Amino acid sequence: MSPDDYAIAVDDLGVRYNLRFTRKSTVRGSFASLLQRRKPERFWALRHVSVRVNQGESLAVIGPNGAGKSTFLQVLAGIMRPTEGTVDVRGQVSGLLGLGVGFDTELSGVENILLGGAFLGLDGPRIRELLPEIIDFADLGQFIDAPLKTYSSGMRARLGFSIATAVDPDILLLDEVLATGDASFRAKSKARVIELVRSAKAVVLVTHDMDWVREYCNRAMLIEKGKVVMQGSPDEVTKLHLARTREAIARRKEELKAKGLDLAIRPKKRRDRIKPPAAPPAQPGAAT
Amino acid sequence: MSQGPAAVPLRHASDGDSPLTLLRQGISDILSRRRLVRYLVQADMKKRGSDTILGNVWWILDPLLQMTVYVIFVSVIARRPAPDYPLFIFAAILPWKWYSAVINDATNAVVNKDKLIRQIAFPKLVLPVSTATAGVVGFAWGMIPLGLLMLFFLDRVDPTMLIWIPLIAVVQYAFTLASAILVSAANVFFRDLGNAIGHGLRLWWFLSPGLYSLQAVREIAVAQDFAIIGTLAGFNPFAVLFEAYRAVIYGGADGVSPPHPPDVVSLLILLTASLVLLAVAVVLFKRVEPEFAKVL
Repeated sequence: MSPDDYAIAVDDLGVRYNLRFTRKSTVRGSFASLLQRRKPERFWALRHVSVRVNQGESLAVIGPNGAGKSTFLQVLAGIMRPTEGTVDVRGQVSGLLGLGVGFDTELSGVENILLGGAFLGLDGPRIRELLPEIIDFADLGQFIDAPLKTYSSGMRARLGFSIATAVDPDILLLDEVLATGDASFRAKSKARVIELVRSAKAVVLVTHDMDWVREYCNRAMLIEKGKVVMQGSPDEVTKLHLARTREAIARRKEELKAKGLDLAIRPKKRRDRIKPPAAPPAQPGAAT
Repeated sequence: MSQGPAAVPLRHASDGDSPLTLLRQGISDILSRRRLVRYLVQADMKKRGSDTILGNVWWILDPLLQMTVYVIFVSVIARRPAPDYPLFIFAAILPWKWYSAVINDATNAVVNKDKLIRQIAFPKLVLPVSTATAGVVGFAWGMIPLGLLMLFFLDRVDPTMLIWIPLIAVVQYAFTLASAILVSAANVFFRDLGNAIGHGLRLWWFLSPGLYSLQAVREIAVAQDFAIIGTLAGFNPFAVLFEAYRAVIYGGADGVSPPHPPDVVSLLILLTASLVLLAVAVVLFKRVEPEFAKVL
C-alpha cells in the first residue's frame, strides 16, 4: 500500500483544555481570578499523538478512563479542534459518540429522526428515504409517535443507535457503543456494527472489550494520560494494556494499604463487626 | 458526524482565520443548514403550543394581559396618559416581547445543547439563529391581538400604514439576531450571564420610550437643562423601533396626528448599524465556536 493511501492521518496531535473556563465559570469567578492574577490552568488531554489509519484498516483505541480516548474520537469527528498538530480525514465521517442523547425530548420519535438527520447534515430526501429503515430497526412499536420524554433510557439508546448507524460512512468512529439496550437489541446492534465495520473504508473505535479488539481490529493503540504508549497488533497491545492494568491495580492496592485501607481486609472487617465489640482489633498487623 | 461530502483538507486548525473568512463560513453554515433551522423553529413552536392547556391562545392573550397591567399601572401613577393609551403602548409591547423572549431563550440556546455539541459536529450558529427566527413567529401571532385591539380604536387606525410593520420588523430582526448570537456565545463562558440579562432587559424596557414617547423625554430633558439626555435617548435602538411602530400603528406622539410613515432615515441608520453588529457577532461566534465542545 502506498504511503499516500491513508484514510486518516494524525500528526503530532495535541489537545489542550483551558481549565479557566470550566463548567461553572461565571463572570464573578473570572474577575476574581483576574484580580488574583492566577495563571490559567491548562491541561493536555492529548499530546504528541501521531497515527495513520489506512484504507480498509480498523484501529482500536484502548486505555484507562480519562486517557483521552474520547477526545481523540471527538477530534477525528471534527467536534474538537486540535490545539497543535494536524489531522487529515479523507471521506465522510460518521461517529457513534455516545447514544443516550435524544435530540429533543418534547418531540416524537419520528420527529427526532428528522431533526437528528438534519443535525447530522443529511438532506431532506435522504432522511425520508432512510426513515422507514430507521423506524424498523429501532423497533419501538407505538412509541415511535410518542414524545421522547416518555421513553426509557434503553429505548432512547435504541433510537439513537438506529439514527446514527443509518448512513454508511466512509470512516466510522465508535465510542463504547457495543453495549446498548437489552440482550436482543444488543445482538442486533452488534451485527449492525460488524456490518458497518466491514463496509466502511476505515474504522476507529474506543472500547474496553478486548475480545472485540482482537476479533475485529487489525491494529490497536494504547493511550494513557494523553500519550501513546504503544501502537501495534491487537494481540500485543491488549496484552500490554492488561499487564499495565494489573500493575495499576496492584499499585493502587499498595497505596490503599499504606493508608490502612487494604481492600483485602474488608471482608475481615465485616466479620469483625459481627463479633461482639468487646474484642477490638488491637493488633492491626496480625490480620495479614 | 457525517459532514456531507467532506472537502479533502477537513481540518481548519489555524487560529488565524481572517474575520472575512469566518464571516463567510458563518453565512454558509446557515445557508447550508436551512432545513435544520426550520426544524428547530418548528420544534420550538410545537413545544410552546403543546405545553399549556390554552396552547396557542396564550400567544394572543399574553401581550393583551401585559398591556392591561401597564395601562392600569400608568393610569394610576401618571393619571394623564396619552389618549388611546392601550394602543399607544401595545405598539411597543409587541416588538419588545419579541426581543426580550429571544434574548432570554438565546442565553441558553447553545448551553442547553451541550450533549449534542460534544457528540456531533454541526454549525453551532444554527442554534441562536433558530431562536431569533422562532421569535418572528411569535411576533406574527401578535398581529392577531393587535387587530383585535384596533377594532376598539377604528377612528385612529389607518390600515394602509400597517404595511410598514414587516419592513420595520426586518430592521428589528437584524438587531435581534445579532444580539442573540452574541448572548448565546457569551453565556457558554460566563454562566451567570442569564441573571444579569433578566435585569438588564427590564431596565432597558423602562429606559426605552415604550410606556412614554421619546418626545416626552426630550421635553423633560430640555426643561431640566439636560438636553443631552434627550439626544442620547434617541440613540437607543428601541427608541427608533418603538417610535417607528408607533408612528404606523398609533400615529403622532402628541396623540392627535394620524398614523404616518416612520422616520425612514433613522431606520436605515439602525439597519446599517445592526448589520455591522451582526457581522461582528458572527465573526466572534465563529472565533469561539471551536472551544464550545471543550468548555461545555
